[in-house]
Amino acid sequence: MSSLATPLPRPALVSRRRLRLSAAWLGAGIVAGFAATAVLAPLVAPYHPTAYVAAPLLRPTGAYLLGTNDVGQDILSELIYGARVSLTVALLGAGLSLALALLVGVSAATVGGWFDALLMRVVDVFMAVPHLPLMIVLAAFLGPGLNSVILVVVLVMWAGPARVIRAQVLTLRERAHVKSARLLGGSHFYLMRRHLLPAVTPVAAAAFVSLAGRAVMMEAGLAFLGLGDPTLKSWGGVLRAALNFDGIYLTPYWLWWALPAGACISLLVVGFTLWGTALERYGNARVDRLQTRA
Amino acid sequence: MRWQRTGPPRWLAGRCAAFVLTLFAVITLNFALPRMMPGDPITALQDPESSLYVSDQASRAALSHYYGLDQSLIVQYGRYLRGLATGDLGWSIRLNAPVSLLIQHRILWTVLLIFPAMLAASLVSMVAGLHAGWHRGSPLDRGLIVLFAGIRTLPAFFLGVLALLLFSVRLGWFPLAGAQTPFAHYRSPWGALADLLHHWALPALVLTIEMLGGQFLLMRNSVISVLGDDFMLVAKAKGLSDRSLKYRHALRNALLPFVTVLSIQLGFAVTGSIFVEAVFAYPGMGTLAFQAVSARDYPVLQGVFLVFTVSVLTANLIADLAYARLDPRVRTR
Amino acid sequence: METHESTDCKRGPERPSTDGAVAHRSLLAVRELSVRYRLPNDLMLPALRGVTFELGRGDTLGVIGESGSGKTTLALALLGLVPTAEVEGVVEFGGTPLPLRDDRAMNRFRWSQIALVAQASGTGFDPVQRVGDQLIEPLQERRGLRRDAARERALRAWDEVGLPAQRFGHYPHQLSGGEKRRAMLAMALAGAPALLILDEPTSGLDSFTRVAILDLLRRLHAEHDLAMLVISHNPDDVRQLAQRALVLYAGRAVEVGEAHDVIESPRHPYTWGLVNAYPTMTRSKDLWGIRGEAPDPMCPPSGCAFAPRCTQTIDRCQAEIPALMPQLDRLVACHLGGLRLLLEARRLSKTFRDGPGPPVQAVQDASLHLGEGEVVAVVGQTGSGKTTLARMIVGLLEPDRGDVQLQGQPLHSLRGEARRAARRLLQFIFQDPYEALSPRLTALELVREPLDIQRIGNRAERDETARAALAAARLPTTREFLAKRVHELSGGQLQRIAIARALVVRPKVIVADEPTSMLDPSEQARVLRLLKDLQNDHGTALLLVSHDLPLVRKVADRVIVMEHGRIVEAGPSEQVVSEPRHPYTRRLLVAAAGARSQALRANGRAAPETVEAEAADDRLPAWKPPGSGREIQAGAAAEE
Ligand SMILES: Nc1ncnc2c1ncn2[C@@H]1O[C@H](COP(=O)(O)OP(=O)(O)O)[C@@H](O)[C@H]1O
Ligand code: SF4
Ligand SMILES: [Mg+2]
Repeated sequence: MSSLATPLPRPALVSRRRLRLSAAWLGAGIVAGFAATAVLAPLVAPYHPTAYVAAPLLRPTGAYLLGTNDVGQDILSELIYGARVSLTVALLGAGLSLALALLVGVSAATVGGWFDALLMRVVDVFMAVPHLPLMIVLAAFLGPGLNSVILVVVLVMWAGPARVIRAQVLTLRERAHVKSARLLGGSHFYLMRRHLLPAVTPVAAAAFVSLAGRAVMMEAGLAFLGLGDPTLKSWGGVLRAALNFDGIYLTPYWLWWALPAGACISLLVVGFTLWGTALERYGNARVDRLQTRA
Repeated sequence: MRWQRTGPPRWLAGRCAAFVLTLFAVITLNFALPRMMPGDPITALQDPESSLYVSDQASRAALSHYYGLDQSLIVQYGRYLRGLATGDLGWSIRLNAPVSLLIQHRILWTVLLIFPAMLAASLVSMVAGLHAGWHRGSPLDRGLIVLFAGIRTLPAFFLGVLALLLFSVRLGWFPLAGAQTPFAHYRSPWGALADLLHHWALPALVLTIEMLGGQFLLMRNSVISVLGDDFMLVAKAKGLSDRSLKYRHALRNALLPFVTVLSIQLGFAVTGSIFVEAVFAYPGMGTLAFQAVSARDYPVLQGVFLVFTVSVLTANLIADLAYARLDPRVRTR
Repeated sequence: METHESTDCKRGPERPSTDGAVAHRSLLAVRELSVRYRLPNDLMLPALRGVTFELGRGDTLGVIGESGSGKTTLALALLGLVPTAEVEGVVEFGGTPLPLRDDRAMNRFRWSQIALVAQASGTGFDPVQRVGDQLIEPLQERRGLRRDAARERALRAWDEVGLPAQRFGHYPHQLSGGEKRRAMLAMALAGAPALLILDEPTSGLDSFTRVAILDLLRRLHAEHDLAMLVISHNPDDVRQLAQRALVLYAGRAVEVGEAHDVIESPRHPYTWGLVNAYPTMTRSKDLWGIRGEAPDPMCPPSGCAFAPRCTQTIDRCQAEIPALMPQLDRLVACHLGGLRLLLEARRLSKTFRDGPGPPVQAVQDASLHLGEGEVVAVVGQTGSGKTTLARMIVGLLEPDRGDVQLQGQPLHSLRGEARRAARRLLQFIFQDPYEALSPRLTALELVREPLDIQRIGNRAERDETARAALAAARLPTTREFLAKRVHELSGGQLQRIAIARALVVRPKVIVADEPTSMLDPSEQARVLRLLKDLQNDHGTALLLVSHDLPLVRKVADRVIVMEHGRIVEAGPSEQVVSEPRHPYTRRLLVAAAGARSQALRANGRAAPETVEAEAADDRLPAWKPPGSGREIQAGAAAEE
């Protein structure tokens, strides 16, 4: 039964489908733009981000489009190289946590029993614990470095998708076509390859993109708190440096020092969100179609 | 449905067991972390070559003693648990004071931020989510979705910076930092209170807005799923007014899933509060942790972690019990 | 369309609109009601397409149809509860049009005038509020009663549906399915509506609860001045509750008439299939679904929606949508006016005078008819004249008196090409396949022969058709098998060849004379089942001649009982078996049961005491009536 309160939808001027599609492309485009910047950073950036290229605290000029920071580094170059850190953490953080989630989710659902129960208790623990305090202690003890940032990000992100994937596999296993394939003597591997993975793939793809967005946020947060890799320029780190500069609010520096860094973080997250939402919708539609056909 | 079979007592017992188990896991993790980390930070603390080296002689000794490095692991664990039971959270390297005392001084400020923000965000998202879900697909609904989804893409610290720039720097409505005017001399308790509120308002607002995004979407989805339920159709077939349908039936039922995830929201609130406190230099536990990070003050970080986690887990449990009160399917057999 | 008029507003929801009712007794008049759902992808799904009917005050109308035919949509549309749909047409209630597209204005009619007992009463109550409070709620809000008055009124309704008072304060999950259904009913009745819409009132209930609910509904209808719209996929609900019935197919009304008549003798091919597909309609017969699939709601067939499943389609069916037209006692939407009468035998008589003894009056004044797709069994002991009757019908014997009409043509006066065409439409299956099948022909040739004779298709096509017919009769089509001759085949295989041979020319009527009597019991079961299967799939009518009443009741829609050349009883097989009127029929049944008890005794088990009651019992292993033929004769002889 459809919702009661919804009146008959009016025909929209621009079809909503079209709108959604263009939002998805916009999101993917933003991500692609940042990715290109990250890859081509040495070519695009006017200076090396850690080089002391000019006097500190220069206002924006033709040579230093966003001015320089308190030690005379070019802020624009910092931001351009910052895309590398963000996207590396996004890619590896999302990829590794998804891999872990798939491993845990699929094996818990297929093996079942106490193994499943145990894994799900572990998942519960990771879901129940507040994430930032956990990230802080973990990162602090792991020591500074990009690797520890990625590890921390993976540790707090894997549990949610693991539970979703497990649920997905469990319902799939109960589907008639999977059962019948099993009755026909299909091996575990066959079931996995032919039935389970294809069905899980759209969910996993959508999960990957939204995980990547969350990873960007987390990396920025850790860097902001001073738990990032001190040798690498990261947007969160730039923001931290700006705010640590005493009395920045009393000067106009925040305008080109603090704001662009925050805007970069938000824009990349927006890109991932738009893209991920579209993928999720697509994945759901595919799952729906599969279900109605089954 | 599931609960109908097992009944409340068994459900309750299972819930409490899960709580104890998680608590145990967290405490053990906290114990194990400094002892099993790859770079072995405890050794590093003593190593002048390391970036983690603690130069102060007395602090180094205190740390060694606190971690009980001369004992076997079992003995260390026993000592650790006994310490926790008596409220011993360790000794701060940076401030040279017991961690529990530091946290005692700070926790109230954090509570002062988190609870009003949670409350306000819940109320606003309940109202906004109810209306957006009720008028699904309307311009209002779509506008709210874009607004709140947009807020969610702003990291809490950046949102804080933006608010600070706008309201404190440009408009000058609020102070830049802190919870009180330093060295102020109040003529009356009301003056003190006004000063407190003045400092409190902006960080609390930022935290509220930070929480709103997720809560709004939750409430909206919950409302939409309730509107599709059969009993709403039956209620509508009784010719009831939209008011009754909306508030008596839709809202009450949509609140059930909303309450179950309130505890997860508390986890987000903790995350948000740490960032917001850091931006506003608000003297709560977040700032304590923020400063401890710079100083590599491990005992403080661990203490903050433990207190936050135990609070959230406890809130989890309470939320589940509250859910049982709200839902007669759990309450009555 | 403007439906909201100002005159209606002055009338409060409390006062029934008597002026309208006096003018015409009609309470609800639905005219050309169409509902199209808008799907999320902006496509439109037509769920109801131009439905028209009327319902008088205190009358009951049943709406029958498969799931997906639009029944619930009708119920919701009458209350203006299809917000995601475009609604066209007019619904007049008490003489004034309902403001179907105005949600607020409809609130004045909901519950207080037109109450709904929704399909999903199991999940129809708000799970977090007490059931009693949910009954009180509209009384307070709509009727403006104070809480105690509302409570008192609600409790009266609660009591009326037979629920104990202490249940009033319970939560929905604490009530059983039947109790929830009653509570829903109480909630609907508390508003004292003029019209009660019951959507699937018994679905999902066990049979005891179902009977109780049906009793309750009948009582409530009798005690209140209440019109009821009973919606169900179960024709039996409608037969028990409604005076009139409307059959929905793919959103259209295809048959409207007196409920009893519509269900007992359906005229539209769809109604016919639906009634036969329903388990509770018959305890004795096996279930045979309607062939084919329900149409895809998104792209219904262009002409008659039932055409792809219909057994009597003509070209017009695909091209043109049939309108609902009066046919004798009812309305039927069919280009052919409903199920065709395929075969009619009128007052056939035959006396054999050629034997040495006195003339034998084999058949006297026997009349019967066979409708499209119908299975009729002619039963009687050996010598009762069944075979003579069957042979006269197919034209193997000339009757002394009377005539046979096939699709309206007199069969016995046909000559030449017309006669050959008629022969194709009417096929006969003999009792003894050894006799009927030529020993010289191979299996393939046997089945191909009718095609050769009728000159249908070329040689290759005939072979192909014959092979397909053999496969349909579950016979192998290997080269070896196709080359086999009669003596190489078992009785069951031969009879199946005979069936394939009969079906290969796509006849409209098959007359089968004791097709299974030469077979052992398990072959018997298989062949009869096959015959019925093929009959169902092809939509052929079947006249089944047999001495074995317990056996044929499994497949027959109607049973005709013959004794001494006369038809002594005829009726729906369910009725003939469970309430036999003629003593001879009863003897037939007792004899069959006696045969069974003898068989049981032979197996060392106690014989059931109440033989007669057992006779109609469904649990009989009816596929294995060992040697029942002999026993019937013995039983009949004992009577004499
Ligand atoms: N809310 C809806 N939105 C879209 N299609 C619907 C909706 N409700 C029913 N339908 C479709 O309308 C047709 C009739 O459904 P329904 O009235 O529920 O039939 P019945 O009650 O006879 O089973 C079906 O094809 C069904 O899929
Ligand atoms: S005969 Fe034609 S019109 Fe009549 S039901 Fe069959 S297909 Fe429809
Ligand atoms: Mg229905």
